[in-house]
Amino acid sequence: MKLEGTNTLPAPVETVWKTINDPEALRRCTPGLKELKEVGPDTYQATLQIGVAAVKGTYAGTLAITDKRAPAHYKISLDGSGGAGFMKGEGIVDLEPHGDGTLLKWAGDIQIGGLIAGVGQRMLGGIGKMLIGQFFKCLEDYVGGGE
Amino acid sequence: MKPAVFEYFSPQTAEEAVALLGEYGDDAKVLAGGQSLVPLMNMRLARPAVVVDINRIESLAYIRDEDGGLRFGALTRQRAAERSPLVAARCPLLRDALRLVGHVQIRNRGTIGGSIAHADPAAELTAVLAALDGEVTARGPQGDRVISARELFVTYLTTSLEPRELLVEARFPAPPHGAGWSWMEVARRHGDFALAGVGTVLVLRRGMIADARIGLIGVGPTPVRAAEAERGLIGQSPSEALWEAAAEAVRGAVSPDGDIHASAEYRRHVAGVLAQRALRESLSRVQEAA
Repeated sequence: MKLEGTNTLPAPVETVWKTINDPEALRRCTPGLKELKEVGPDTYQATLQIGVAAVKGTYAGTLAITDKRAPAHYKISLDGSGGAGFMKGEGIVDLEPHGDGTLLKWAGDIQIGGLIAGVGQRMLGGIGKMLIGQFFKCLEDYVGGGE
Repeated sequence: MKPAVFEYFSPQTAEEAVALLGEYGDDAKVLAGGQSLVPLMNMRLARPAVVVDINRIESLAYIRDEDGGLRFGALTRQRAAERSPLVAARCPLLRDALRLVGHVQIRNRGTIGGSIAHADPAAELTAVLAALDGEVTARGPQGDRVISARELFVTYLTTSLEPRELLVEARFPAPPHGAGWSWMEVARRHGDFALAGVGTVLVLRRGMIADARIGLIGVGPTPVRAAEAERGLIGQSPSEALWEAAAEAVRGAVSPDGDIHASAEYRRHVAGVLAQRALRESLSRVQEAA
């Protein structure tokens, strides 16, 4: 499942770059994040509880940031599994100056399998987009209001 | 397949049910017809700690014709509404939409309130409620409050009902006598969730469209009311060109997601085609009634 989008953040590229590399910002903004543990440089172990309404699952996995080209580009990889299924994804984030702010472009490819994919197929794309949207909306507030 | 362990309550009155929800809040799920909740529990995708079964609350199953609309107790079975002469006479759009909710066996158990509270983006009842400017009554620890369809549906499977509230009634305002209606949907097989569906109502006065309603399912996180398409119809005299323009406006109003069953483009296209056909059928029913 391929997803993509853009967000405009009210802060210069350098600030946004710092934020999207800041474990504290990731911790605050990742929907349903229960635990984020740094296990190496740019590598984290994460526990997420995500879903909608009564359909919630807990997923444990790793999150790694690679291909860093400060302050404009990185790749984020995600690998996790839980009782309801598994997911594996890669996303590319690019930052560009945009007036006084920053244009953040993201594109990702996520594979979701197992039970949840069989049953939830109809809604997975939309829910994925919604959760990623929540993440960037939170980052927007974080860089806008935090400093 | 068996559900994870849960605690089970079977209250006899709505008040008892509300008290239980007040106590357990987020940990509890209301079991009505169970046609969505039970499969999710059996697959362990949903693991509520507490199930509040409202099936013994007989006072929550009724159909009444009051104040220009139909009032349904939340526990009214979909099949009972579908076969009700009152529903056929006052709101045939609802009856026709109900006929495409799952299969007969599902409708025998499935309830009006359950389908609305579950808020599946492909649930027929949600679009009918939205198109008719319907509302629901939620009962909570602070008493009753009325929520309009517009405010009720938040996103996929999510409503503005609080975890401590019980949906007790749904009200569907009835279109005026002589109104035309149509429900149409496309599904891969009969009984499947619709890839796209539309309900329309047309009211004519002296040959001009006095009121138009268009509600859609399967084309976004919530049911969609195509308000701009409706505005384009009101005050006009019916014609094929007008239906085509409305279909175009409907396509502009929806933002479907694609999945393995149908692409976003296909759903958008079909939403327009169905709207056009449904408006055509609505007009023919206005003319039959006249």
